[in-house]
Amino acid sequence: MTPVLELDNVTKRFGGLRAVKSVSLTMNAGEILFIIGPNGAGKTTVFNLISGFLHPNEGTIRFQGQDISRMSPHRAAQLGIGRTFQIVKPLPSLTVLQNVMLGAFMHTRSPRQAEEASAKILDFLQMVHLSKFLASGLPLAALKRLEIARALATRPKLILLDEVVSGLTTSEALALAALVKRLPEWGVSVVGGVEHVMQVVMKIADRVIVLDYGAKIAEGLPAEVVKKPEVIEAYLGPKFKELTQ
Amino acid sequence: MSLLKSWKFWALVAATLVWARMPWFVQNNYQLQVLFRITLFAALGLAWNLVGGYAGQLSLGHVAFFGIGAYGLALFHQIPLPLWLSLILAATVATLVAGLIGLIAFRLRGPYFTLATIAFGEVLRLTAANLDVTGGAIGLTVPSLFHGRTFWRQFYLASVALTVIAFIVNYWVSRSRFGYYLLAIREDEDTASAVGINTARSKLWSLLLSAFLTALAGALYGSAFQFIIPDSALTLEISVQIAIITMLGGAGTLLGPIVGAALLLSAQEVFKNQFRESHLLIYGVLIVVVVLFLPEGVVGGLERLFSRKPRAPGSSKPQPALGGAAQ
Repeated sequence: MTPVLELDNVTKRFGGLRAVKSVSLTMNAGEILFIIGPNGAGKTTVFNLISGFLHPNEGTIRFQGQDISRMSPHRAAQLGIGRTFQIVKPLPSLTVLQNVMLGAFMHTRSPRQAEEASAKILDFLQMVHLSKFLASGLPLAALKRLEIARALATRPKLILLDEVVSGLTTSEALALAALVKRLPEWGVSVVGGVEHVMQVVMKIADRVIVLDYGAKIAEGLPAEVVKKPEVIEAYLGPKFKELTQ
Repeated sequence: MSLLKSWKFWALVAATLVWARMPWFVQNNYQLQVLFRITLFAALGLAWNLVGGYAGQLSLGHVAFFGIGAYGLALFHQIPLPLWLSLILAATVATLVAGLIGLIAFRLRGPYFTLATIAFGEVLRLTAANLDVTGGAIGLTVPSLFHGRTFWRQFYLASVALTVIAFIVNYWVSRSRFGYYLLAIREDEDTASAVGINTARSKLWSLLLSAFLTALAGALYGSAFQFIIPDSALTLEISVQIAIITMLGGAGTLLGPIVGAALLLSAQEVFKNQFRESHLLIYGVLIVVVVLFLPEGVVGGLERLFSRKPRAPGSSKPQPALGGAAQ
């Protein structure tokens, strides 16, 4: 079976800065992969590269076997790559339901059908009671869910969750994580990005990739990865690496 | 059909009929001309609303399409082509030019887009002022679409018809997927493209529709006054006036442009007669007051007052305009 997503030696430069350095990764259908790394490690850049908001300088990105390295964001979305934004971007003057309908419109012209499809997704994300509220007044935890709902409404094969739990309290984060873990029920694979909420990552990730200064420094099962000296060094500095040895 | 059962629909039909009968209530051609201008600018506002209201792209270059409509009608008729064919051709040319302008200007966002549209309008004005075929600064005679003693009445009815058409286009947009797409683009282009919306294409379509209607209004205007010069049919003032009318009435609402045109143009006439030269001052103060106290426009503000969408507890930010499409 062709992997859902393949990055082959992908490099992205911003002027003299190499934000992503020859990163390769492969992920299979139904998998939940988390990309973790300290602030500025290049996680968001990787998400922007996969979803077409940026294009790599070197290397190729394949989605279900198809080269999407130079694809525009809306084409990537139409192919089945959904995404959320690190800094939530709700459409403030629309209601929660209308925000989600926007995603559902990818598959129907009829506002009524879009509404029905959206209602199911809002039900899954446990936010039906918020349907009629304007997005602008929602608390952050609900906005994070709204982002996921809108992306899910496009019926993606792959969903990119950039910093899904950042800014949430621990209990909010764990509640959201439980929902993210169920996303494969909708036939999607998940790439999550998280800075340091390891509780969430340990609970739901099938596999973890660690980025530091744009390069992949470790990959593996969550429990293994966090013990690696290079990961500890990236997060805590060289002094702590010595302590582990 | 549910539309036929809605009281709003019948209220609109009744209002349109009364509006169309207005010429029988006024005494002279001056008043009829004022009514014609109000109605024509309501149509222009509705046309602009597609781009500036729903899609949120603040164009100040709509006079380009307005002018092409007026000049096109005159020039095609000179060839000579039949009058009504010239009208359609002029609007078609304006639409094609809109495609060209859109392809270039929509690469820019925010104030840069606005500046680009101003530039296109000005380029067109200077071109018309310097070409022989457009009569240079002296201008052109525009053939009259209607003749006879009651021709003002007929122009007035034509402007009402155009406003009705523009309103129907707005209504369709506000109820369709296309309208939702435009709203999404207005709110956040990145989000729009993340859900698979081809933002460039949607913006372009809104501009094409808008340009076609604007050109028809321009041709009607030129034809009614029978004479155009670059400083009357291609001046930046018209672009600004169209935008202000719509924003004052409520950008992104169905009735906003009509209310805006009625308020602003009638106020303008009254002040002009009452206060002579100082009328511009009062006009300016009026605009400032509305922008300060009703940032969503008159209709947008009233809509919010009467049909509040619930907001989640704990939020205190003021809400931006909720378009007609949102209901």
